[in-house]
Amino acid sequence: MSDTQSRDDASQNMDESVTEQTHFGFKQVDKSQKASLVANVFDSVAAKYDVMNDLMSFGVHRLWKRYTIDCAGVRAGHRVLDIAGGTGDLTAKFSRLVGPTGSVTLADINLSMLKVGRDKLRDQGLVSNIDYVQADAEALPFPDNSFDVVTMAFGLRNVTEKQNALNSIYRVLKPGGRLLVLEFSKPASEHLSKIYDMYSFHILPRMGQMVASDAESYRYLAESIRMHPDQETLKGMFEQAGFEQCDYSNLTGGIVALHRGYKF
Amino acid sequence: MPAASLFTATAETLLNRLIALDEDSAQRLVPLAGKRLSVFIEQLPVGITLVFSTRIDVLAEPHSFEDVCVHQDGESCFIKTSLDVLPSLTQTSQITRLIRADKLQLQGELSIAQQTAALFQQLDIDWEEQLARYTGDVPAHEAFASAQKFRQQFAAFGRRLQAGLGNALTEEKDIAVSKLAVMHFNDEVDALRDDVQRFEARLSLLEKNQ
Repeated sequence: MSDTQSRDDASQNMDESVTEQTHFGFKQVDKSQKASLVANVFDSVAAKYDVMNDLMSFGVHRLWKRYTIDCAGVRAGHRVLDIAGGTGDLTAKFSRLVGPTGSVTLADINLSMLKVGRDKLRDQGLVSNIDYVQADAEALPFPDNSFDVVTMAFGLRNVTEKQNALNSIYRVLKPGGRLLVLEFSKPASEHLSKIYDMYSFHILPRMGQMVASDAESYRYLAESIRMHPDQETLKGMFEQAGFEQCDYSNLTGGIVALHRGYKF
Repeated sequence: MPAASLFTATAETLLNRLIALDEDSAQRLVPLAGKRLSVFIEQLPVGITLVFSTRIDVLAEPHSFEDVCVHQDGESCFIKTSLDVLPSLTQTSQITRLIRADKLQLQGELSIAQQTAALFQQLDIDWEEQLARYTGDVPAHEAFASAQKFRQQFAAFGRRLQAGLGNALTEEKDIAVSKLAVMHFNDEVDALRDDVQRFEARLSLLEKNQ
């Protein structure tokens, strides 16, 4: 093969990777851009993230997260990875449940969110058994078979290649370990779906504008939820990654779903 | 939405608020740190697990009593019982009887359950001080003094009402008998029983002699 031909092939591959598209909300963007676009969203909302969560969900997000913790089966001495842990809602509880003999790793790709989470947890006096790692869920920087439990709450829909993230999580889970993904999903009822659409496309951006001075980020939130795989599709992706005994629970009529899978 | 999550969230907030109101409870929490108490009540759809650290975390247990008992590690206590048996658990002497009667299943460290019971039984909350934080010392003291005076007056009224009603029923209307009459009646019944026993004994003696 000549040098010229090699350069042409490389150039063609490069062109293909540049033109490979993915969704960012309802927009189609270059795959390589999505991570930075998502990062911009979370840089923008990090400071008001907790307040907005309470406002948008009327506080119900706390119950969704509590249910996730109940289902996690975390015990003293466990090693827990909280991916896209954001402001540390799950990590705070896990830190107390695993006790001094266990550890919790709060991982987030976004440094702003990680800093807000770290400050919040330190203010609560939770310092001894929590590590903070800026990490991409698609390429987790941990050895194989490292964690007993991995959770990801409201993070998977922002990942560019969701299947890569699930594969990566499968790799770092110990045999016998479990993954829990809490994420917005598809409402089970048509009526609820219509009300939910109206709320998320008309009211949510206005709330974002009023509280966080950022309507665009909350418009992205609504759009990204619609683009996220529904319950059965995500369950299939779990199985494709190698997880077993996969199931899900619909919460609040399917607005949110908790998916579970085990690595054996 | 799982109702259990709402219940545990409410219970957790309430328990931790109560504990925070008594400064000494932090000290009583120390020996419980790192321990778990799981309670399964037959009438409730899920079990409740209390996890102790510097505070109490309340979890809804998605698994059955038999499944969670697998995790015995010396730092856990698992209890399965029914609502009507719960009050009896404060008496340690009753526990063996309840287990034998299949009214109580107990696995793990009993001392965790006892320390948890002590934590709440020994709560000593100065409610006047708590109110004073919001209203100031004088209004809080006045409010509690008034409440205590009202309670004493109410108790005195209750005693007078009880005495008056008793007198009316036993003396004036003659509907019920007085305490003294009941005691006298009981004494007479006892005497009669003794007489019957003596008569039985004498009768049997006479029968033997024949």
